[in-house]
Amino acid sequence: MPKCTIDGKEVEFTAGENLIKVAARAGVEIPVFCYHPGLSVVAQCRMCYVEVEKMPKLQTACSTMAGEGMVVKTNSENVIKGRAGTMEFLLLNHPLDCPICDKSGECDLQNNSFGYGNATMRHSEERRTFVDVDMGPVIEKNMNRCIHCTRCIRFGDEIAGIHEMVAVQRGNNIDITTIDGKQLQTEYAGNYSDICPTGSLTLKDFRFRKRAWMLKKTASVCEGCSKGCNIEVQHEGNVVYRCVPIENQQINKFWMCDEGRFNYRYTQDPTRVLEPMKRDAGELIKASWDSAMESFRAEISASKVSFLVGTDLTLEEMATIKEFAGLSKITVEHFGTQGVESTAQDGPQDTILKMKSKTSNLNGAEKLGIPAYSGKSSTDTVIVFRGGRAVLPAIKAKKVIGVGVFLAADTAGLSLVLPGFSFTEKDGTVINHMGIEQKLRRAVLPGGRCKAFSEVLMLAMNKKALAGAVS
Amino acid sequence: MSEVKASEGSLFIQHFFKDSNRALSYYLEKMNGYQAAKRVLTELTPDQVIDEVKKANLRGRGGAGFPTGMKWSFIPKQSEKPKYLVCNADESEPGTCKDRQIMRYTPHLLIEGLVIGSYAIGCKHAYIYIRGEYVREAKLLDEAIQEAYAKGYLGQGIMGSKFDLDITVHRGAGAYICGEETGLLNSLEGKRGEPRVKPPFPATSGAFSCPTAVNNVESLANIPFIMRMSGESFAKMGKIDKSGGTRLISLSGHVKKPGVYEVMAGGMTLRQIIQDLGGGMLGDKRLKAVIPGGSSAPILTADEIDVIYDVEPLQKIGTMMGSAAIMVIHEDTDLVKLLLRITKFYAHESCGQCTPCREGCHWMESLLHKMIKGEAKMQDLDLLVEVAQNIGGKTLCALGDAAAGPVISFVKKFRPEFEAYIKGQKKYA
Amino acid sequence: MSTPLSNKFYEEMKKLESRYPNKKALILPALHQAQKEYGWLPKESLAAVAEYIGVHEAQIREVASFYTMYNLKPVGKMHLKICTNVACCLRGADELMGFAEKKLEIECGETTKDGLFTLSEEECLGACTAAPAMMANDDYVEELDIHKLNAYIEKIKEGGVRS
Repeated sequence: MPKCTIDGKEVEFTAGENLIKVAARAGVEIPVFCYHPGLSVVAQCRMCYVEVEKMPKLQTACSTMAGEGMVVKTNSENVIKGRAGTMEFLLLNHPLDCPICDKSGECDLQNNSFGYGNATMRHSEERRTFVDVDMGPVIEKNMNRCIHCTRCIRFGDEIAGIHEMVAVQRGNNIDITTIDGKQLQTEYAGNYSDICPTGSLTLKDFRFRKRAWMLKKTASVCEGCSKGCNIEVQHEGNVVYRCVPIENQQINKFWMCDEGRFNYRYTQDPTRVLEPMKRDAGELIKASWDSAMESFRAEISASKVSFLVGTDLTLEEMATIKEFAGLSKITVEHFGTQGVESTAQDGPQDTILKMKSKTSNLNGAEKLGIPAYSGKSSTDTVIVFRGGRAVLPAIKAKKVIGVGVFLAADTAGLSLVLPGFSFTEKDGTVINHMGIEQKLRRAVLPGGRCKAFSEVLMLAMNKKALAGAVS
Repeated sequence: MSEVKASEGSLFIQHFFKDSNRALSYYLEKMNGYQAAKRVLTELTPDQVIDEVKKANLRGRGGAGFPTGMKWSFIPKQSEKPKYLVCNADESEPGTCKDRQIMRYTPHLLIEGLVIGSYAIGCKHAYIYIRGEYVREAKLLDEAIQEAYAKGYLGQGIMGSKFDLDITVHRGAGAYICGEETGLLNSLEGKRGEPRVKPPFPATSGAFSCPTAVNNVESLANIPFIMRMSGESFAKMGKIDKSGGTRLISLSGHVKKPGVYEVMAGGMTLRQIIQDLGGGMLGDKRLKAVIPGGSSAPILTADEIDVIYDVEPLQKIGTMMGSAAIMVIHEDTDLVKLLLRITKFYAHESCGQCTPCREGCHWMESLLHKMIKGEAKMQDLDLLVEVAQNIGGKTLCALGDAAAGPVISFVKKFRPEFEAYIKGQKKYA
Repeated sequence: MSTPLSNKFYEEMKKLESRYPNKKALILPALHQAQKEYGWLPKESLAAVAEYIGVHEAQIREVASFYTMYNLKPVGKMHLKICTNVACCLRGADELMGFAEKKLEIECGETTKDGLFTLSEEECLGACTAAPAMMANDDYVEELDIHKLNAYIEKIKEGGVRS
């Protein structure tokens, strides 16, 4: 393998790798703004200067490919001066409103300023200001904070496939915007905020809700479809504040869709059922677990019951339910997305990430040999196990019992609801459409009196076994 | 336009400034029109053409002075993609108006140059990117191209050879930066004229991501002369090493006879050009300074003009020949105001994609404004120079250098004028 | 969708289509052609150009706003663009601009109330050896002085603008 030297350290590289990647392997961080590994290289921000031996001018590491025997310095006097110069230029027109900026704490401009800028300011002229247009429900725009890195334009053009974010005018007057206040059309708009290196494009959903440095981060998997995008669930005080994509080159690269990003909201919906509920005279009334389980056991023991499991359950949950059903010869079928009953019917919904199956584990259900719901129930009672995302099918049965995550609106046909854990509240495995097994990780604890499926089934079994012994 | 006498051995100038000269008939009869192309297409290989141009020491006439033959030799011989020759007729460096004369009076010279150049690099469709303001010149070129198609000098099987070539005139729309070759290519492709990051260089990935050579109008218009007289003879016309042929000079500002002139490459000093061609100083005022190569060239003082007017001698004294646009400045001129005007231009024309140029040019303009209004402090003068230094050599394209060079040189050479404003000895009129 | 552009636009563009390897390269020629229709480029024209080229409207706006010759606001029948760059500046362009402002009773960048004149400052026009110079719509007027400029404006005021 060819080698080059970065700050005196010899590093191997593969042809075509830029100096940022190679330096990172040598443990040398090069500051960037416009460079993003998932987007084309434009070398515009002029932050990633390095000195390359035999080249008179400073080079931008993003656009310089490593070469055999190349000697690179990332901390020479020239480099330090060059970066400080760029930082000074970038801050000339920046409002420095960090105290009230949502990006504060996770802002490249702040971080690079801290690391590479000067502490004093030599600029006393008036700052450039803009009046911002509304860009729709996802993104809040603040052009005054923009540093013209054009990541958003390139994301739109190269990843989202829509050239809706543009630079209008030129030079010092450039406004990076949508035109005439048009709303963003892409269904991937949240990424604009993720890649923005300043607080110019922030998420409306997250705005003024939590300081970034207060958030705890749990790596998990999106349950929005069978793609299985890798995400970080960010939370504090048992509240999820947002989900952001994390890099997985095989699956989602750096991105996620808005549907997946905002999917977590239902888990904190005020109408979510968090207590056992029993229907009495047409009304669902709060019940104790004891009394709810009694009703549950009554149905199981009558052996006139069948199970429906959502394809939004983890592999472990499905396996437990299936094993339980096997003991009592109960049939188990799966449900999840209308019209996508099998992986054969699944497929890309767009050319970016979205899949047709709107649950995370259709593949897992098939691997466990659980057939799709036939649409006809031969039993009087159907028990539905649901993770929260799977769409409830129309069920014709005398009685339908729900176990898992339900909002008030989902409970109209249910006679009994036993509340369970959502995807942010449990550990488990899901298998994506490519057959890749991935782990959900518990980020927060469920509120109310929710129980895991395994606990519900255990309670059902123990009492049943106990009852048998007594009689 | 002033009366112009052709100096001995001049190639272009005797054909300029007469509207009837642009006709194909004039070109064929008086200038041996298309004979060089005919010989090239029927007798020479592309490599032989490139070799001849290399021998001619033809340096690019657009500003960078890169040898044309060398540029062509970088175009890959084998390519699955089409190859393009693009003529840079954006002529936008302030002070420059020589290419305009070629397009006005000898358009067929440019067309023939494009035929030969296209043959040399293997291009089937050449573009002339002309600045948008040259509405009339674009029309004249279009007419000349139609004439050439009609007589078989363009199109299929040119002059009985197997070589086909189309030429399309593409108009710009008002952006200095499109004179930068990759900005020009983006503009040709229907994009904002923002310069591209290099590599890849146009020779491997230029117009429409295909191998492309971009040559200035005057460079291409010299090609027929080279092929007629041989590269060696052309090289010998130059009075200095590494520079062949003649140079068209745009002489403007405070001279008695501003105009476009032609001199042997390296054949005259700046003083001789101002005195002998320009007829001396306007109003017989004293010379104060000269901007020798378009507004981006660092300024020279009156004592520095006994320099041979060519690429390397000018480089040695810290300035540049650029597009050979000489602007002469007399004693009554306020250089602070002039620098503000130049800086305002670069700030206005900065495409805005890269940080130092977008932010820095505007900052320099603000600082100069402050000085002129008498609101600046002495440290602002040093700050101005430091800002320029933080732009120079740090940008994606040469516009940053173009903006920084004048600032650094004006302040260095004429510092007391700036200080006078700061001290309040001079007030803005 | 009804297009604000005439058939002539589409006819002229048709002629150019074969001259470029893709349609996007026609954006600049299309904007020039579209501007001929009203003297400037209303949003509807930009949208029609976007539709013709087959790109998002924003992309056309992005390109059009980069170049100074595309008028994104209405201009007078006669657009006077006086060059004030170095060569013209050395030859008195500032005085010319001052004169034009007074004469037309507008400031640089404005249009007269009757819609006849728009006055703009122009960067180098490439007429430096015949400085000072201006563009009057598509024509160059060179070796200007105040008398010549005055006469030019008077002529337009009397005779109007030939189209």
